[in-house]
Amino acid sequence: MTASTTPILSMKGVTRVYRQGKVDVHALRGVDLDIHKGDFAAIWGPSGSGKSTVLNQMGALDQPTAGTVLLEGTDLGSLSRKALSAMRRDRIGFVFQSYNLIPVLTAYENAESIMALQGVPVAERRDRVMGLLEDVGLEGLEDRRPHELSGGQQQRVAIARALASNPAVILADEPTANLDSVTSEKLLDMMARLNNERGATFVFSTHDPRVMKYARRVIGLVDGRVDSDVQKEQGVEHKHQSRV
Amino acid sequence: MMLLKMAWRNVWRNHRRSSITIVAMTLALVAELLYSGLVTGMIHSMEDDATEFDLGDLQVFHEGYLTRPSLYDVVPDAGTLIGKLEEAGYQAAPRLYAGGLGGSGDMSAGVQMVGIDPVRDARTLALSEAMAEGAWLDAADPSGVVVGRGLARTLGLDLGSELLVVSQGADGSIANALYTVRGILMSVAASMDRSSVLMTEDAFRELMVLPEGVHKVIIRRPKDVPLKQAKTQVAALAGMGATDPAEGSVAVEGQAATVETGTDGLDVMTWEEINPFLAQMLAGVSGMVAIVYFIVYLAVAILILNAMLMAVFERIKEFGVLKAIGYSPRQVMIMMILEGLIQASVALVAGLLLAAPGMWWLQNRGVDVGALGGIQMVGMTMPPIWKAHYTWSTVQVPIIMLFVITFIAVLWPALRAARISPVEAMHHQ
Ligand SMILES: Nc1ncnc2c1ncn2[C@@H]1O[C@H](COP(=O)(O)OP(=O)(O)O)[C@@H](O)[C@H]1O
Ligand SMILES: [Mg+2]
Repeated sequence: MTASTTPILSMKGVTRVYRQGKVDVHALRGVDLDIHKGDFAAIWGPSGSGKSTVLNQMGALDQPTAGTVLLEGTDLGSLSRKALSAMRRDRIGFVFQSYNLIPVLTAYENAESIMALQGVPVAERRDRVMGLLEDVGLEGLEDRRPHELSGGQQQRVAIARALASNPAVILADEPTANLDSVTSEKLLDMMARLNNERGATFVFSTHDPRVMKYARRVIGLVDGRVDSDVQKEQGVEHKHQSRV
Repeated sequence: MMLLKMAWRNVWRNHRRSSITIVAMTLALVAELLYSGLVTGMIHSMEDDATEFDLGDLQVFHEGYLTRPSLYDVVPDAGTLIGKLEEAGYQAAPRLYAGGLGGSGDMSAGVQMVGIDPVRDARTLALSEAMAEGAWLDAADPSGVVVGRGLARTLGLDLGSELLVVSQGADGSIANALYTVRGILMSVAASMDRSSVLMTEDAFRELMVLPEGVHKVIIRRPKDVPLKQAKTQVAALAGMGATDPAEGSVAVEGQAATVETGTDGLDVMTWEEINPFLAQMLAGVSGMVAIVYFIVYLAVAILILNAMLMAVFERIKEFGVLKAIGYSPRQVMIMMILEGLIQASVALVAGLLLAAPGMWWLQNRGVDVGALGGIQMVGMTMPPIWKAHYTWSTVQVPIIMLFVITFIAVLWPALRAARISPVEAMHHQ
């Protein structure tokens, strides 16, 4: 589990300044960060530390004020809006805190929708979606609409959807924030299993210590800077990189 | 496919709003369908009236007679021409005209005497069937005249009333004669209604001392001959030789075909050339119809625009998610446009089903507007039963307009939806 290969995601000197009226809000103040294949990394920090902003930068949802974000070697800053849409569709899987799913589509259709955009043949879509829904424990609930599912089930559909398009990385912004602790832990269990079994790369943000303990890598964020970056291995913590 | 499925379900998400939009679209479509049929029906009947009661399809007269009518400008050998026309399948009737003064009791009014061949005229035009009271002219009753209803009212004439007509004969003598009203015409055309005194050809010739020639030959063509072609054929029969505009004997298309026959020139004109205003108006009505469509649909468009903008604002987060997970702005836009078009399609089905009985009724039964007392437009009187007329294009235009207007109205909301930034959408409450 070493980080010798080229990273999937690489942030170099990324700053992000929001103008709010006459005040500049420095959400990110120079973030350098690499995400490697197979990572199961938590971005950890208090509210307002810049977790969402980092994930938005990684996921090509937002442009940095300065610095570069490379996704599988491609500088996102060099891409057109259309190319960014395609990048999000094909290489990124998103899971948000809430409002993840398209309300008019069933669980099955939500999971299928990105593959449909990608032009994956129906039969292949069917195989993959049924496999994934089974994997996330939603067998038999394929035809339910989001409002007929619990919060935890909705997040599972979102994860199935994110995985379905075979992305390079799945970015989850506080996926458990709206869930109770038991459901949160189940969800994290499941994500860890998918990481193990399928080799899916996860980066998720949280400020919940119970969630954080599932992470094999914890990136601490304080005031828009990476404060610590800890890689845990077989229960043994060792400092991978640190900036104080 | 995915986009269509989503659009379809989105339409039914907010039942109330979509229903209101669809109902408005449907009512507008129904109104437009009925309206367009009625207007087309009116155009048709006015065109028919113009040709059946007044103008015929074509007329032959002395060159310039139309602009400067003169008692002396006649078609010399009309009998021969009418014979040839009838042989060629046309209906033709001679007409003679002169102005004069009509009097009854101590009332008087300017009148136009029209000399008519009762039998030929009845074959050619429908005037003989448009009697409000009494009977059509009869050659056996040379002192019996038929007058317009307006004139009858002015002079206080009833059936059997005596009418004194005074004029100046072709020889310069004072012409006067006493006639008996044997028929009163329905209101067909305004000028005819106000001043016409129809009499037999012989009575006219005697009164006006005009033994020879006629002022107009009024012609109806066989149904299957187009107007332009009929004009060429009639011109040829009238001895005007080639009158194809391309061959140069007629200078400008749409103007009278003129040829010198000795010292006399003859004109052949279509009804559209004789009454270009009516022809233009009838052609222009489609433009007016389009404007009314536009106004009705504009109201609907504002409603659609409003409903769709509300839908966009309610769903900002959702659009944010769509954009975040890889839907392109174009795909979001297409989805929104589809939502509008789906509503229009539902309105189309509902509107056609709702309008069909009304359309059938208007086309076959019509509306009785007789009570309104004969509305006049451009010198023509509306028929007492107003029937709609439906062709493919009468139905097509309101439908196409509905879709075009819907498309235009959803463009802006669709663009708003397509432009939503995922990051801002997440922050939206
Ligand atoms: N769209 C925005 N406009 C203005 N300020 C923003 C915006 N998004 C985030 N911020 C600010 O940037 C900082 C980091 O926010 P965020 O990345 O959402 O933190 P976290 O996800 O860790 O709570 C905060 O101070 C927040 O107020
Ligand atoms: Mg956040």
